[in-house]
Amino acid sequence: MDGENDKSSFWKKNVKTVPGRPSPKRDGKTSSKGKTPTSTSFQDFQASVSDAWDMDDDEFCVISGLENTKISKRVSQSAAINVLNTHRCTTEVESPPEEQVTTDKQLLPNCDNSAKVNRIPGRPKQLHCLNPPQEEDSESKLERFLTLLENPPSLQELCKLSWSGIPVKVRGITWRLLSGYLPINIERRDGVLERKRKDYWTLVEKYYYTEHDETNRDIQHQINIDVPRMNPSIPLFQQKTVQLMFERILFIWSIRHPASGYVQGINDLVTPFYVVFLQEFIPDSSSFETFNVTELTEDQRKIIEADSFWCLSKFLDGIQDNYVFAQIGIQKKVLQLEELIKRVDEPLHRHLKQHNVCYLQFSFRWLNNLLTRELPLRCTIRLWDTYLAENDSFATFQLYVCAAFLLYWKEDLLQEHDFQGLLLLLQNLPTQSWTSSQVSVLVAEAYKLKVMFADAPNHLQSNSGDS
Amino acid sequence: MSTKDDEYDYLFKVVLIGDSGVGKSNLLSRFTRNEFNLESKSTIGVEFATRSIQVDGKTIKAQIWDTAGQERYRAITAAYYRGAVGALLVYDIAKHLTYENVERWLRELRDHADQVNIVIMLVGNKSDLRHLRAVTTEEAKAFAERNGLSFIETSALDSTNVDLAFQNILTEIYRIVSQKQIRDPPEGDTIRPQNVEPIDVKPTMNTDGVRKQCCQ
Repeated sequence: MDGENDKSSFWKKNVKTVPGRPSPKRDGKTSSKGKTPTSTSFQDFQASVSDAWDMDDDEFCVISGLENTKISKRVSQSAAINVLNTHRCTTEVESPPEEQVTTDKQLLPNCDNSAKVNRIPGRPKQLHCLNPPQEEDSESKLERFLTLLENPPSLQELCKLSWSGIPVKVRGITWRLLSGYLPINIERRDGVLERKRKDYWTLVEKYYYTEHDETNRDIQHQINIDVPRMNPSIPLFQQKTVQLMFERILFIWSIRHPASGYVQGINDLVTPFYVVFLQEFIPDSSSFETFNVTELTEDQRKIIEADSFWCLSKFLDGIQDNYVFAQIGIQKKVLQLEELIKRVDEPLHRHLKQHNVCYLQFSFRWLNNLLTRELPLRCTIRLWDTYLAENDSFATFQLYVCAAFLLYWKEDLLQEHDFQGLLLLLQNLPTQSWTSSQVSVLVAEAYKLKVMFADAPNHLQSNSGDS
Repeated sequence: MSTKDDEYDYLFKVVLIGDSGVGKSNLLSRFTRNEFNLESKSTIGVEFATRSIQVDGKTIKAQIWDTAGQERYRAITAAYYRGAVGALLVYDIAKHLTYENVERWLRELRDHADQVNIVIMLVGNKSDLRHLRAVTTEEAKAFAERNGLSFIETSALDSTNVDLAFQNILTEIYRIVSQKQIRDPPEGDTIRPQNVEPIDVKPTMNTDGVRKQCCQ
C-alpha cells in the first residue's frame, strides 16, 4: 500500500521520510485506490514538504525513480523556492483538509458501480451533475480578485493569482483578460468588447449564412457530425440552440485558420469557455449542466457565443501546430513526453515499454484535446485557469501536465502486467470523482517538472556524475 | 510473462476504418461490451478494445483498434495498420457519401497495411435505418465481390449481425492462418500476426459471462 499513500506526489520511491517528500503521517489520510482521493491541495503538499531544505549535510538529493540521478541542491532549492513563493502568495488555506474529506465521503455513496464503470475495477461512478464546492471559491480569494480587478490590474499579478484557481464569480472577466481578449485598460474595455462582438457577428453573417465552397462544406459537414455528440451526458449540450452556437463558433474559427481547419476534438475545447461565460448569466452557476439557454435573452446568448469564439481563438493561437497537417505539434510533444518520463521515472517508462505500450497510443488524445476527454468538465475549467495564467508558455506547460498526469497513475499502471490492461487503464483513467484539489496537485507537480527541465535541460544528469 | 494471461491460441489485430459518424465505435462497443450509445463521443486518434471468441475449439483473441474517421487523423491512424491481419471497412447505409469513400479507404489500407493477405470486410452499418437507406445491398455486395472483400450489413443499434461480422472475419483470418501453417513452415507465414506485439490480452468485459481471472 505504500505506493498508494502518496498519490499526490512523485516522491514515492521509499517509505522512509525523505526531505522534500510528503511525510507519511499526512499521507495516512489519503484514501485508498478506487475511492475519492482526499484533500491533496497544494497547501497540504506544501506543508508536507516544508522540511525539504532543513538538512544541510546533503549535497545532493535523490530524485524519484532515479536513485543514481543527482540534482544540484542549489539548483533544486532555488527552483523549489520559486514554486513555493509563487503559491504562497497566491493561495490561502481555505478549508481544513478534514472538511474536504467529509465532502468526498459524502459523495461516495453515490458511487455505486454500474456495469459500465466496472470495466475498470475501482472506477467510481460518474458524478456529472454534482459540482462540489471548489477550493478556489473561498471568500478571501474572491476578495483578493475583486480588489485586484477594481483597478487596471497588472497582468503579471493577475496571472499569479489565477494560477492556483479563479473563483467562479470572477472567472469570466479574468479569462477574458488572461486570454488577451479584454484590454487591461478599463476605459478601453467596453469599446473593445462591443467592437469584437460586432465583428464576430459580421463574420457569421458573411461566412456562415452564405453558400459554402467544397472545402467549407466538408468542414461544416464534420462539425455537424461532431457537435451533437459531444458531452453526451450533459443535458446542456443536447439543446439545439447550444449546438447551433457551437457550430457557428467552430465554423468561423476553421475558415479563419485554413492551415488547420476544423479538427475533431476542437469542439471539446470550446466547452470550457462556453460554460464559463454562460455561468455569468446564471444565478446558480453550479447548475449549468441542466440550464435551458432559451431562458437567456438573445443578447446574452450572443455575448456568450462571441466571447467564446474570441477567447478560443486566442487560446489556440499558441498550439496551432497541433492541428495542422500530420499534427506535427502533437507528434513532437509525444516524443518529448516519452523523453521526459524516461528521465524522471525510468521504472515506469521501462514498464510501459516492456509491455509494448507506445506513448502515442494514449497521449495523443491527451494532447489533442488538452485532457478534456480525461477529466470531468469542472476539472478542465480549473485546469484552464492555470493554462490561461501560463499565458504564452501554456503550450509547453501542457506537456508537463501530461507528464504529471501519467506519473499520477504510476502505482496503478505498475500493477497492470499486460498490454491490454495498461492500454485500457490509460484510455479510461478513473478521474470521475476528481475535484479542483487533484487538479491543483497536478499543476503543482507539472510546475516542478517544468522548473526542473524547461529552462535547464542539462542540469539533471542521467548518470551519477557531478552536477 | 504470466501464463494465466496467455490463454489464447491466436491473437489477431483488426482495425476499424471508415468515414466519421458511420458507427465504428458503436460496432466495437457492441461487440466487446454489448453496449451502444446513440450519441457517443467522436474518437480522437485511436481507441482500443479486445474480445476473444472460439473457432474450431481454438481461442482467438481479437485486438481491435478503432480509428478516428476524419482525414486529418490519417497520419496518426495509418500507423495502426501495421501488423493488422483484418480490417472492417465501415460505411453508413443511409449516407451514400460514406459508401463512395470506401474506395479511398481501400487505397489507404493497401498503401499502409503491411500484411499481404489482410482480410478486408465491407460493413454496411445502420441497417436499422430502413426508411433512410441510400445504398442498396446488391450494389455494395457487387462492389465487394469485384474487390475481393467479404460483405455484411450490420446494426450496432439493434445488434443485428455485429457478432457475426466479427466472427466471420476472425474465422476467415483463422482459416488462412491454419491452412498456411499446414502448407508452409510457420516462419514464412505472412498472415500470422508476427508484427503484433506478443502481448498478454485478457478479456475486457465479457458479455458471455466467462470472465477469466487475472492476477490476484
